[in-house]
Amino acid sequence: MTRKMVFVDTSKCTGCKACDVACKEWNELPAEKTHLITSYQTQKDFTPKTWTYMTFIEKYENQKMNFLMRKAQCFHCAEAACLKACSSNAISKTDSGYVVIDHDKCIGCGYCEENCPFGVPKADQANKKYYKCTGCIERVENNLKPACVHTCQPGALEFGERVVLLGQAKKRLTEVQKTNPKAQIYGEKEMGGTTFLYLLLDRPEVYGLPANPTIPLSLTLWKDVIQPVGGIAVGGAGAAVAVGVLANLLRGNYRSSEDDSNNHANS
Amino acid sequence: MRWINRAKEKGAKIIVVDPRFTATASKADLFAQIRPGTDIVYLGAIINYILENKLFDRNYVLNYTNALLKVSKDYKLEEGLFSGYDAKTRKYAVVSWGYQLGPDNKPLKAESLEDQDSVFSKLKTHYSRYTFETAEKISGIPAAKIKEIADTFCKGKPGTILYALGMTQHTTATQGIRAYAIIQLLLGNIGKAGGGINALRGEPNVQGSTDMANLYNSLPGYLPYPVNTDKTMRDYLVHNGSFYEKHLVALLKAWFGENATKENDYGFSYLPKINPAVNGTFVKLFDMMEKGQVKLLFNVGSNPLVSQPNRQRVRAGLAKLDMLVVSDLFEIETAQFWREPGVKTADIKTEVIMFPAAFVYEKDGTLTNSSRWIQWKDAALKPLGEAKPDLEIVDALFKKIRKLYAGSTDVKDAPILQARWDYGEEPSALKVLQELSGYDEATGKLLPTIADYLKAPIGAASTGCWIYAGVTGNGNLAARRKNADPSGLGLFRDWSFAWPGNIRILYNRASCDDKGQPIDAKRKLIWWDIAKNVWTGDDGADVVDKTKGPDTPEGKQSFRMNPEGVGRLFAASYMSGMPVTPPADGLPAIGVRPGGLCVDGPMPEFYEPTESPTTNLLHPKVSGSPVALVISTLIGKSEEFPYVLTTYGVVEHFGAGGVTRNIPWLNEIMPEPFAEISKNLAGKIGVKEGDMVEVSSARGKITVRAIVTDRLQSYKVNGKDTETIGMPWSWGFASLSPGPSTNDLTIATLDPAGTPEYKACLVNIRGA
Repeated sequence: MTRKMVFVDTSKCTGCKACDVACKEWNELPAEKTHLITSYQTQKDFTPKTWTYMTFIEKYENQKMNFLMRKAQCFHCAEAACLKACSSNAISKTDSGYVVIDHDKCIGCGYCEENCPFGVPKADQANKKYYKCTGCIERVENNLKPACVHTCQPGALEFGERVVLLGQAKKRLTEVQKTNPKAQIYGEKEMGGTTFLYLLLDRPEVYGLPANPTIPLSLTLWKDVIQPVGGIAVGGAGAAVAVGVLANLLRGNYRSSEDDSNNHANS
Repeated sequence: MRWINRAKEKGAKIIVVDPRFTATASKADLFAQIRPGTDIVYLGAIINYILENKLFDRNYVLNYTNALLKVSKDYKLEEGLFSGYDAKTRKYAVVSWGYQLGPDNKPLKAESLEDQDSVFSKLKTHYSRYTFETAEKISGIPAAKIKEIADTFCKGKPGTILYALGMTQHTTATQGIRAYAIIQLLLGNIGKAGGGINALRGEPNVQGSTDMANLYNSLPGYLPYPVNTDKTMRDYLVHNGSFYEKHLVALLKAWFGENATKENDYGFSYLPKINPAVNGTFVKLFDMMEKGQVKLLFNVGSNPLVSQPNRQRVRAGLAKLDMLVVSDLFEIETAQFWREPGVKTADIKTEVIMFPAAFVYEKDGTLTNSSRWIQWKDAALKPLGEAKPDLEIVDALFKKIRKLYAGSTDVKDAPILQARWDYGEEPSALKVLQELSGYDEATGKLLPTIADYLKAPIGAASTGCWIYAGVTGNGNLAARRKNADPSGLGLFRDWSFAWPGNIRILYNRASCDDKGQPIDAKRKLIWWDIAKNVWTGDDGADVVDKTKGPDTPEGKQSFRMNPEGVGRLFAASYMSGMPVTPPADGLPAIGVRPGGLCVDGPMPEFYEPTESPTTNLLHPKVSGSPVALVISTLIGKSEEFPYVLTTYGVVEHFGAGGVTRNIPWLNEIMPEPFAEISKNLAGKIGVKEGDMVEVSSARGKITVRAIVTDRLQSYKVNGKDTETIGMPWSWGFASLSPGPSTNDLTIATLDPAGTPEYKACLVNIRGA
């Protein structure tokens, strides 16, 4: 299958949350107890039962209201940190660009969540396995649009070939920039290019997204440098120390302070 | 929103005027925050601007509106009151709102728009008081912004206006929409693709239910309801016009079949008659209950205990009933009013019966949208458990009732025994639609088209709703789903069926010039085919007679349903076709067709809401609408309740939440009611986002969570700082997601047509 893409055009989104309900319905996810958090937002983060939710940001400047709505879900990165971090090879990527978790293999180590620059995968406390947006891979492989795209009333979500939609997104950006000069594409280059690609009306930080999401350096060091070498050349106690240090790094000392504050803004 | 987004992509400018910056506003090119209930003043200022700067479409105004007709010399407006006001009854005598008539009983036409008696001059004088500056002082919208709206709208022709309940839930509801109509007529935006005024209905089948006489004062197809002084059909025709004779007879034939004959006045006496002095609208109904005037309420698909303004009245009314029958999917608040917290159940004698109703997807039938498309759907599922479609419930009830009356010779029982009721052993929704579509009563065959119905002699045809004539005449046209649109104008003529006669854009004659040719070559709807001598086009021609050319009196009529044949800038009191000599038999004369009346004035005038933080700048002595029907007895003053409350629905819940608050996924995305307040107000009362607040009015108080937001800004009204508080109203004490009802706060005060003023009342707020 060729590389696919979902174009999330936030300039058309009205924050109706129908995508959220369609996701829960298709994936048979139960509702969770919520209350209003800010603006019309009722869900503050991903959970094992909430794979997509709507964020609302209100920004008032120069007597102009910017009411920003963004559907959050797994980006399905081309260079996925979760996949790289996964200790049990439970996470894989499809040709179509989807990053999926095999729950038979998942051992609940949590490296995926800790390394994901967006904090997407979440553990089910009952079975200790991690869950996140599947991109409706089973629908897509049967020539259906993802549930969220299928239901989107204002036409803010589009599904198609990445090469085609990317061009469309750029064209749309030129149009939107006429009235929203700060508008930008997010996901073309980020994380090697994401399957869910956004047209944002403002800087990513305003939406609580990292400006330059990356695979944590510690993870790259571990996976691409030390682990391959370590397995062969470094033996005994030395290796154990290295593993210990890096495991600590993997457990969370990778995010910049800016990213941390963004995560709070997002919640 | 999908279509608005698409229009925007094609270069349309979007203007949003709302008391709050909404999600829709976030997509707009231009947003203005308005004080609730003051639309007429800024729209009046736009009308004034159009007239003063001659921005109107002169040809259209001259030929397709009543601008040149001469208004009665007795007409006037003084101190906020139109001529003919009776302070005792709070009603107008409308005779002075008529035209000057010639010897042929037709309106006199002025030579020019400048004629002081012309409708156009009256319009100009009326709105000369509505300057941008005055509009700013009253509405809180800066004058420059109103000018920008006016310029944008006047330049972007054709322009369309979309509105919803924010415009209509006021004591000046009808007049707000009339103001839109005047703007659209002046700009020549009616009858054209991309023009018009579009009601975005609050429910998917509001149009259909209104077509089918959901209002207490109309019969199906908007036939006026007979009143208690109409002893015969002739009496009815005297004040309603001969136009209605054919349609009323066809309705009586549909309902009583062969028992409706010329000899028995087609069964006119079988119809109940209303007392015109009693306003029997939905809100008023509960006061009649409280007074013991109603014994039984059959409540279908409605949750008045949550949805009615000043809803404490509803509880009091329901408690006085002998019996309440609720037909719904869930045991909604109305059905369990007797166990609302705080109610003394032991004191309530009302017997309550619950009917399990089928959901929309479990029944066949039609939904009519506000473009008048009658759209058929088949049931997708069988109803769960004992649930039944509404049609089955009503059918079973009627059959049982008729059995109970069998053999009765009492005159009042005759309608039940004489009715034609033939929808089958298991009632078929298609048979009901066919009854609406109409039969040739001699052959029992369906009439193919509305033209066949209109051609049939009086009494020879039946139709249960004459405007639906032909919907199933050639197969079930409402079920058509062809998605082709060769016009490229979104007409989709083979998708379902639009009443009347599958015309997609009403008054489309006005899209043509005096030769009958399209004015806008890019938006061709219909045209006069000179070679074939017939009106033709991509749309059905909305003309009196398709064979009458543009140079005939019939072919000139752009608004054929109006007695003047033109659009009405001034809603005059007028009956066309009044005979010059009275009938020889001495009986009162019968005209042809009356003009639609707005009983609160021939032109929209601005009035403050019943509860207002200020006094009407235009006429302080007549501040609120002089014809509003104020039902609430507790009215707040701005000293005690300084803030304006406006109420609305949320996208996550539907109406009073009877269904949606029982759906966990919807409760997850909107779990509770709230009060939206400006940061300024939050600071003043020491509240931050997420805190609980108590909101109170003269009628009640409730506690909800506060949303502190920049989407509401403080504004100035008559120089005074003012705040709007916004609250959704979809919650009640029952369901999976119970919550306080905002309608504990709202005021029951009605537009003369019966719409309550949900959108503006006075409240106070404090941290809870």
